[in-house]
Amino acid sequence: MSFSFYETMLKIWNTSAFAVMTWQEALMIAVACVLIYLAIVKKYEPLLLLPIAFGVLLANLPLAGLMSPPTENAVGGLLYYLYQGVKLGIYPSLIFLGIGAMTDFGPLIARPSSLFLGAAAQLGIYIAFIVAIALGFAPNEAASIGIIGGADGPTAIFLTSKLAPELLPAIAIAAYSYMALIPLIQPPFMRLLTTKKERETKMEQLREVSKLEKIVFPVIVTVVVCMLLPSVAPLIGMLMLGNLFRESGVVERLNETAQNALINIVTIFLGTTVGATAVADIFLRPETLKIIALGLLAFIFSTIGGLLLGKLMYLVTGGKVNPLIGSAGVSAVPMAARVSQIEGQKANPENFLLMHAMGPNVAGVIGSAVAAGFLLAMFG
Amino acid sequence: MSIADSLLVSVLGLFVVFLVLILLSFLIHIQSIILGYITAYQQRNAEASHTIIPVEDQPEEADQGWTAGELKLIGVDEKTAAMIMAIISDETQIPLSELQFKKIKAIDQIN
Repeated sequence: MSFSFYETMLKIWNTSAFAVMTWQEALMIAVACVLIYLAIVKKYEPLLLLPIAFGVLLANLPLAGLMSPPTENAVGGLLYYLYQGVKLGIYPSLIFLGIGAMTDFGPLIARPSSLFLGAAAQLGIYIAFIVAIALGFAPNEAASIGIIGGADGPTAIFLTSKLAPELLPAIAIAAYSYMALIPLIQPPFMRLLTTKKERETKMEQLREVSKLEKIVFPVIVTVVVCMLLPSVAPLIGMLMLGNLFRESGVVERLNETAQNALINIVTIFLGTTVGATAVADIFLRPETLKIIALGLLAFIFSTIGGLLLGKLMYLVTGGKVNPLIGSAGVSAVPMAARVSQIEGQKANPENFLLMHAMGPNVAGVIGSAVAAGFLLAMFG
Repeated sequence: MSIADSLLVSVLGLFVVFLVLILLSFLIHIQSIILGYITAYQQRNAEASHTIIPVEDQPEEADQGWTAGELKLIGVDEKTAAMIMAIISDETQIPLSELQFKKIKAIDQIN
């Protein structure tokens, strides 16, 4: 038997993934590296962007077959099975369970009018929907693109996985990237659309909310919203179950698990598998750029919607509501509320808007879920 | 789908979001009012349960309080006791010097 170094090396090369890698896959691996950089160095929503980015990397490794469905002769790839949690809408609902356990709806209960701001800040969803239709997207795709304006990752993933799964990676990456960029996107519009006098408005302290009110609230929301829009019951039902864990005070172990271990585990599965859907032939299309642009448009108009209703409430209440809390109506909890607080304090250092902005902020979570329920009922 | 149709869907969609959230806002408001009444009612009951009962109507308690002269205070501090005595004197129009208190005891619940 003769040994040829050259032939051996050639054989190793030919059986390796390098030999069959396309330039598109190489480009996607480069995109994954950029996303990893943004998550680690720039800290753009790292909890989700990092697993998403690594999922992109894994899915574009030739021959690895991590997202391959099962065949007669072989079982499917690991990520294919984990992806079923996204496809079936399980992960977004479980994430909502954790969010519910972490959320204090007290500021919303203390000032129910916050819900109006949470509704107005869904404007961007519908503006993006109209523009997407004008750009030639199908209605189900346009609805999925529009939901980016809800600034709520799990809701966007839930809706897109049901209406337009092929757009999932672009929409998820756009949604989480823009959520991370809220401190950059919102302030210019907040200053543009409000006067200094409006921004300086100090708001009255919120009333204290009793424990009983906080316990009854999730039950009311579940019954009302799920009866009106049954398609969104998995999201709202889980959100409110998590909140009931929190407020009841009798299931501390479940509450602790929901807001820590469970949400962390599901976040790993969700992020990695959503990223793994970003394979080159799906992601590297002109539509992806359009989706990213439309996502930004949706975020901007959602901010504008909240601010405009905030201004209206300022006028109606005779200057008792600071319009800056309107922009917090985009859900992105608690980032959007923090931006309202920062902008309010820039205008008036004695201004403390955080708790006031938390009301519209958590109302936005319910608002975007309701908007998703409507779109699902229309195009599902 | 035409742009006009998408506009119609959008208006309807925003209307539904507002409708649901306005309904929720209304229900939260009603909930706060109802629970406010319930809480106030419970508070009134709790206050009523702290009414002072004449000593004669009470079974003799073990001596677990402390005394101030001949007056026994059980679960009541001196300041509160002084206030109660002053109120009784005022209500009955009997000078304090003519009143004799044997025991003042806080009662959690009447029945």
